[in-house]
Amino acid sequence: MTAVAHKLCMLGDFGVGKTSLVARFVHSTFSDRYLTTIGVKVDTKEVALPGRPACKLVLWDIAGRSHLDALNMTYLRGATALLLVADGTRERSLHAALNLLMQSRTLLPDAAVVLAVNKLDLVEHWEVAPSALAELRRTLPVHETSARSGEGVEAAFADIAMRLVA
Amino acid sequence: MQHADSASGDRADVVPVRDAPRPAPAETAPRDDLEKLKDILFGDERGTLEALDGRVDTVERSQRDLATRLPGAIERAQEGAGAERMANALAKPVTHALGAAVRENRQVIIDVLFPVIGPAIRKAIAEALRTLVADVNGAIESSFTPRGLKWRVEAWRSGVPYAQIVLKHTLTYRIDHVFLIERDSGLVLDRESAPDLPDLDADAIAGMLTAIGEFVRDSVGGEGSTLDSARVGEHLLWVVQGPRANLACFIHGVPPARLRALLEQKLEAIHARLAEAGDIDEDARRALQPDVIAREARTAEPAPRSSRWPVRLLLLAILVLLGWLIVRDQQQTAWLDAIRAKLAAHPGFVLNAIDAKGHDAVTVHGLLDPDAEPVDAALRDALGAAKLTLDTTGYVSSDDAIVARRARRLLDAPPGVTIEAGGGVLALRGRAPAAWVDAARQRATWVPGVRDVKFAVAAETDAAAAARAELETLSASIAARRIAFVRETEPVADATSVLDALVADAQRATSLAVTAGVAIDWIATGTNDDPGSDTTNARVRASRAHWLADALGARGIAGVRTAGDDDTEALGTRQRAAFLRLVATPVPK
Repeated sequence: MTAVAHKLCMLGDFGVGKTSLVARFVHSTFSDRYLTTIGVKVDTKEVALPGRPACKLVLWDIAGRSHLDALNMTYLRGATALLLVADGTRERSLHAALNLLMQSRTLLPDAAVVLAVNKLDLVEHWEVAPSALAELRRTLPVHETSARSGEGVEAAFADIAMRLVA
Repeated sequence: MQHADSASGDRADVVPVRDAPRPAPAETAPRDDLEKLKDILFGDERGTLEALDGRVDTVERSQRDLATRLPGAIERAQEGAGAERMANALAKPVTHALGAAVRENRQVIIDVLFPVIGPAIRKAIAEALRTLVADVNGAIESSFTPRGLKWRVEAWRSGVPYAQIVLKHTLTYRIDHVFLIERDSGLVLDRESAPDLPDLDADAIAGMLTAIGEFVRDSVGGEGSTLDSARVGEHLLWVVQGPRANLACFIHGVPPARLRALLEQKLEAIHARLAEAGDIDEDARRALQPDVIAREARTAEPAPRSSRWPVRLLLLAILVLLGWLIVRDQQQTAWLDAIRAKLAAHPGFVLNAIDAKGHDAVTVHGLLDPDAEPVDAALRDALGAAKLTLDTTGYVSSDDAIVARRARRLLDAPPGVTIEAGGGVLALRGRAPAAWVDAARQRATWVPGVRDVKFAVAAETDAAAAARAELETLSASIAARRIAFVRETEPVADATSVLDALVADAQRATSLAVTAGVAIDWIATGTNDDPGSDTTNARVRASRAHWLADALGARGIAGVRTAGDDDTEALGTRQRAAFLRLVATPVPK
């Protein structure tokens, strides 16, 4: 049976590791040059979930920005899930991710959302305090990830896939 | 290499020593001493130097021989497993050397490759053209098949040469993939691909395609602008936009324009059946298969478009115009035929030609005898409102009626003589004064158109002639006496006196008839003035004629008949009146 496809948009400030997370998660079809030209790159990944039908994630990796312009908003249309990405070593990127979430909610009020705080491999340099993450977990599913080591990446995508097929 | 260079430098110092000629015996002692001193001083180093000298010599010799040995060495390297190793070893240096040669000696490379590239290009073009020519030839050979005729009509309608139309229809193309893409999300609702193509990530491609479309619209387009097509080499992408889903078609080659119309129709049909969740049924999937689309594009007529309505209306207008022209031409022909028939039946006229300008004017060219009736009067009914122009030349007609009329005119025949003509024979009968009879007997044969005369006119006495002359006078007098009416059949006050005079004249005429040798007919005729409808006036004319006949009958003039409705003298008079006419007919003896 063909897996049902879902559009997942990845949002986050510049340099937080969105593209690295996608690269860790999928085998890319298209070049990363699209990110600097048209501002988005699309990849797919089929996620097998235990006891659930397979789910195909169509990942729209939107070029890093702290706010969404009109073109980015058109890229968001039809998305059923958002993966917010922040850099644990830059607290400001977390604020940017939350700001992007608020902006996107006007267009996607019902989209499933997961926050990935990236660069877990540099945890000793993190500016994001554990208490802040604990506070965030009350309202958002939060995953600590490392695109470099791969830690937490599959779990973050599996979590969001689970929410989509639930 | 570094080692060889240093050895070569040393050799410059050593070789002259080694090759120096042996000294003469007188000088042997100092030399030997020197050699001994060298042995003491350099010892082993000197042996090493000589060994090195020998190796350098060997290397130099081998380098000198390298040019002669290299081809053989390369040939040997090509044998067995060494061939691949040799190729690998040479790949990079040859590539670099070729690159450097192209950069530095471009013209030399061009000159060298020119004899190779030219034939290769020609061969490729010839191969492509061979297929094309085969298609075109096939189409031209079948130009009288239904398909060929259809293309000819298309060529005629569009003004494009037939060969180009054939080319357009015979250019081959192939549909590789068809994606039905949800407009907002860019997710693939359905994907159909031609068989034997490598698998591809349809969702990723559809997503990127959607993103690029949005980017293009946001960057260079405006609201309502869409990315409809893109071409890279022979690969063509068509995107057909719909309100909920887009259809992306990946094509190889040159598709016909009607393929796009077909895709638009299919997308419209899919939208009509697209479920809320974006699912499509099996029929819709089948309809999107590349081979199905290609087959339908080949067989389907071009989709009707509103832009063809003007052409159809124009054709309809042309057909209506042609129909009108044909009908008008037939009417014109029938009209002219009727005129020709009238003219053919008109005695004393020979038709040469008729020129007509529509139904407005007619010019009749022909020959007309001076004794013929006027042509325009004969054509009055047939012409209607058309203006008649006569272009006639005089001639002498041999028509019987004209010959008889001509004889009556030339012979000045009195009323008691009847003249008839038939087959060139003139027959004269009746009674006439003796002088006229003598003259006519001589002159009758001179009448043009007469070849023989049958003369049967009796000479009258003087009394009969006098009676006939008085009868003519009385006839004019009787016709001039008018009974006037106030209205309908109510006569004016002095009608009785007019009636009495009329009765007297009639009685006198009756008494003269026997002497004159004629029988008399009396015709009562009623007339009317201008007002009144035709029906009313006809009735009034008949009433007045009957009133006069009755009045005459009451006064002893019996046998008076009334004029008919179409009596020309009655119609030509505008007066509330009635009058009597005398018609004298010679009585054969």
